[in-house]
Amino acid sequence: MLTTSKESNKIRKYRISQWAFLAPAMFFITVFIFVPTIYVIYLSLLNWNLLDSQPRFVGLSNYLYLFQDSNFQTALVNSLLVSAAMILVALPIGLGLAVLTDLGLRGSKVYRTILFAPYVIPLVASGLIWSLLFNGTGGLVNQLLGVFRISGIDWLGSEPFAMIAVIVVTIWQFTGYYMLIFLGGLQGVPLALKEAARVDGASAWRVFRYVTIPSLTPSIFFAVIVSIIQSLQTFDQVYVMTSGGPAGSSTTLVYYIFEQGFGMFNIGPATAASVVLLLILAILTFIQLRISHRWVVEE
Amino acid sequence: MTKIHPLSKITAHVLLILAALVVLLPIYWMVISAVEPNADILSTVVHWLPTHFEPGNFQKALRSQPFGRYFLNSFVMSAGIVVCQLITSSLAAYALVFIPMQRKRSWLFLILMAMMIPMQATFIPVYLILSKVHLINTYFGLVLPFAGSAFGIFLLRQGFVSIPRDLVHAARIDGASEWRILTSIVLPNSKPMLLTLVLLNFVFHYNDLFWPLISTNTTNMRVIPVALSYFLSQEAGQTLQWNLMMAADLVSILPVLLLFLIGQRYLVKGIMGSAIKG
Repeated sequence: MLTTSKESNKIRKYRISQWAFLAPAMFFITVFIFVPTIYVIYLSLLNWNLLDSQPRFVGLSNYLYLFQDSNFQTALVNSLLVSAAMILVALPIGLGLAVLTDLGLRGSKVYRTILFAPYVIPLVASGLIWSLLFNGTGGLVNQLLGVFRISGIDWLGSEPFAMIAVIVVTIWQFTGYYMLIFLGGLQGVPLALKEAARVDGASAWRVFRYVTIPSLTPSIFFAVIVSIIQSLQTFDQVYVMTSGGPAGSSTTLVYYIFEQGFGMFNIGPATAASVVLLLILAILTFIQLRISHRWVVEE
Repeated sequence: MTKIHPLSKITAHVLLILAALVVLLPIYWMVISAVEPNADILSTVVHWLPTHFEPGNFQKALRSQPFGRYFLNSFVMSAGIVVCQLITSSLAAYALVFIPMQRKRSWLFLILMAMMIPMQATFIPVYLILSKVHLINTYFGLVLPFAGSAFGIFLLRQGFVSIPRDLVHAARIDGASEWRILTSIVLPNSKPMLLTLVLLNFVFHYNDLFWPLISTNTTNMRVIPVALSYFLSQEAGQTLQWNLMMAADLVSILPVLLLFLIGQRYLVKGIMGSAIKG
């Protein structure tokens, strides 16, 4: 009898400390993440302009508005374009750089430091530097293109160049980050497997293709998902370099939400677009959990 | 890993040097533009070295706006977030790792959900909530939304699981409270992870434009990224002072670049760690 009451006493003590220790973090996470998530869904069902009208329940009509708004479509397409560029350009280059800096060459550490550096620079600062480089009249990019007799591209002020410039900055900023992700993955490649393949006479390329790449699959998958999530949040570069222009051609999803919400105070469409963003993120996270779970099981 | 053909070695170096040049060129361009007269910056021919020096650019740029105040705001905000997250995340991570509890998986799932919801999708309600309690355009408004962090909890949890459980059990048998075990055993044994959290967080929030742009609206509450973003739009219509802008840019990124060079080991470990966990 005595032991059981002692036992249950212990359990009660654990439960109290569990709640006490989780409470501060969960308080802030609830107030600033979970409540706003539910709130944003609720707001997306209202017609509400902060400046004049009283909120009015309108059901799903904000979503209907979105899918008829060509600016929203452009924003969605642009966000997907950034994702595609990251997956097709930044990730392969990042993987290549990871492999190269993992060869044990002299100076590998220095290379890594330099290649990763853009990631720690504020995107705003990068955006300003690249605004100068992309300047239509006498920026470095046009000077260099002049060598090839290409001249006078108004990078930040014309379609589709403004969006291309935004994508270039994004690639420059994040490629080093993906290099690091892949370097982390490369550390997990069994060395014995590589040695064995090499002893069996496999060429460096074949070792890379049939040993390294398969063991990197989890990192590659992680990088793809993260790069999409990151791309969907593209804002700073656009805000600094193009303000979404010309004529809305370089607007991204988050920039659209910002403009609708804080430029025009159209809370309805802004929050409906936020919900669309949340839905895409939820689907991606679900896929990621599913697949990483499968890998864990396979191992 | 042992023997690489000399030719492959050279190819690898060439490729790496090329990549490094692409990364460094914009940074180099910022540096030389920062010390040039404005008229020299934009031209039709490439010039790799400045022909005239104007070291006074830095002074001029920093005096054009209250940059001291901006730096102060950035530091107060970033440090505030770092301190809050250290406290809330280490408490929560401790509970998840060392306190025997039911429904641990549900808690982890909840925290994982929180991690996937970005401020960019919820900023409108967050703004409305904070303006209800009159915290818009205050330090509290800048810090509180990030005071609890799912990422921080996961990161510290990873560090905590490598601490031998016997150490914690022994302390418990000796009658130490959970709080004591956390402060005198767990935290001192996870300094590298704590440092990683501090560095990642500081850099991330020092660099953050989005929330400060939304939640502050007066000059005296501006942080560095917001101030930089206004540089372009403020001067619209006039001749852009690119040299002053680049000077301000350079000074603004120095703190994070320095932190990165000093604490590279920890930053890198944190980023790699977050990926391996998946």
